[in-house]
Amino acid sequence: MNVLTVTLNPALDREIVVENFRINEFHRVKNPRYSVMDPGGKGINVSVILSGLGIRNVAMGFLGGNIGKVVEERMRMISDLITTGFVHVEEETRENIAIVDPLGDTITEINSSGPLIKPDDLRMFLRRFEVTLSRVRHVVISGSIPRGVDNDIYMTLCKKVTDTGKLAFAEGIGPAFEMAVEAGVITVARPDLRSRKLIFGESLVDFNDYVKAAKKIIEKGSKLAILSYATEGDVIATQDGVWLFKTKSHIDRSHLLGTGDAFMAGVVHSMIENEKDCFLAAKKGMSAAIAEAEYISKELISLEDIDEHMDSFDIRELE
Amino acid sequence: MKVSEAMIRDVSTIFEDETIEDFIIFCLRQNKSGLPVVDEEFRVVGFLSESDIIKSALPSYFSLLQSASFIPDTHQFVIRLGKIKDDQVSQHMVKPPVLIKPDDTVIYAADLLIKNGLKIIPVVDDEGKLMGIINRIYLIHAATQGKIDR
Repeated sequence: MNVLTVTLNPALDREIVVENFRINEFHRVKNPRYSVMDPGGKGINVSVILSGLGIRNVAMGFLGGNIGKVVEERMRMISDLITTGFVHVEEETRENIAIVDPLGDTITEINSSGPLIKPDDLRMFLRRFEVTLSRVRHVVISGSIPRGVDNDIYMTLCKKVTDTGKLAFAEGIGPAFEMAVEAGVITVARPDLRSRKLIFGESLVDFNDYVKAAKKIIEKGSKLAILSYATEGDVIATQDGVWLFKTKSHIDRSHLLGTGDAFMAGVVHSMIENEKDCFLAAKKGMSAAIAEAEYISKELISLEDIDEHMDSFDIRELE
Repeated sequence: MKVSEAMIRDVSTIFEDETIEDFIIFCLRQNKSGLPVVDEEFRVVGFLSESDIIKSALPSYFSLLQSASFIPDTHQFVIRLGKIKDDQVSQHMVKPPVLIKPDDTVIYAADLLIKNGLKIIPVVDDEGKLMGIINRIYLIHAATQGKIDR
């Protein structure tokens, strides 16, 4: 087993493709293939994409109720390379609903909040996390924090990872993520800027704000910082410099689903093979994200897809 | 067909020092009838099933009786369940557990399940660490699909 992914607040993703979607109107889904259910949550998405890249991994976190069982079953159906090790809680796992409109070029997302995690659930999870940690080298901790879990959870988990000389990959937003960044316990940090472009108490308005935030993440101790900039760009920072990656062709907003998780999976895959080369990992991540963007829904990209897109973006050195 | 092709890759487990009450909650929430018991190295050191809990909560002479109606006071069962709920899993688990490796055949797994009257067998690696489980319904399903002899 190479990788452990942690999704504290998994979801059942329901994706519905509706042409010309409008609120307050009746819509019918024309094609059954355009109404699908998938296991979701950022860490789980990374697990699924990694399995498509041939990486055996174990997925952990909290699941609950019948929706939780569906999430677990579907994960195992996707690939033999995914092992599940979730702690099951009393309340029901949440659902994420995404309405994709390819004609209007929009994605409308409705995410529910998820189950309450009780102290006993958290205690049991932490013990299982520590034991599983001894079997892997790369740990991805990604996504929102469920109710009942304190903001120091990202820091606690990432510290356990990096204290044992292993690599912590984290994607999140808000105090929990920032606390872990400030503590310098994240190896690869990718702020999730989808819901709000705000980090370290400052809004990311112009391009320089992104560069400043990326540099701050590196100053705090991360080896690689990745900040999504506009739809087609990413600001990349390592201890050697700062770059802007920008796609050569236009990407529709409706094709962005899963691209962030593909980026992280590409980075993880690269660092399994070459742990020291963070810049190469960022390039592989960008290629994986562009490959994923070719699909309207979440699809399993391959290593060939990643290699094909290594030249699909321009790199500009900023500092 | 090998066990690796039929196993469920799930490492839900209980630690030997967790309680019987923890075990019951785990099984209820996951709709399971038993769990592998592991140590801090994730090695499988035992197996605990709902049958083992029932056995522990019944009087020791119960196995000699033909029917539960011979138990003088069935309320004893409830009282005893209450007494063991805070016990450690290790006090009631079956050890050593029946284990299987991913490279073993499913015919061998079926043999172990039948001979030992089990529903689930933990699948372990060469170090005895948990990799998943194999259960009866999956084997029956594989058999109906004609995959067993492959």
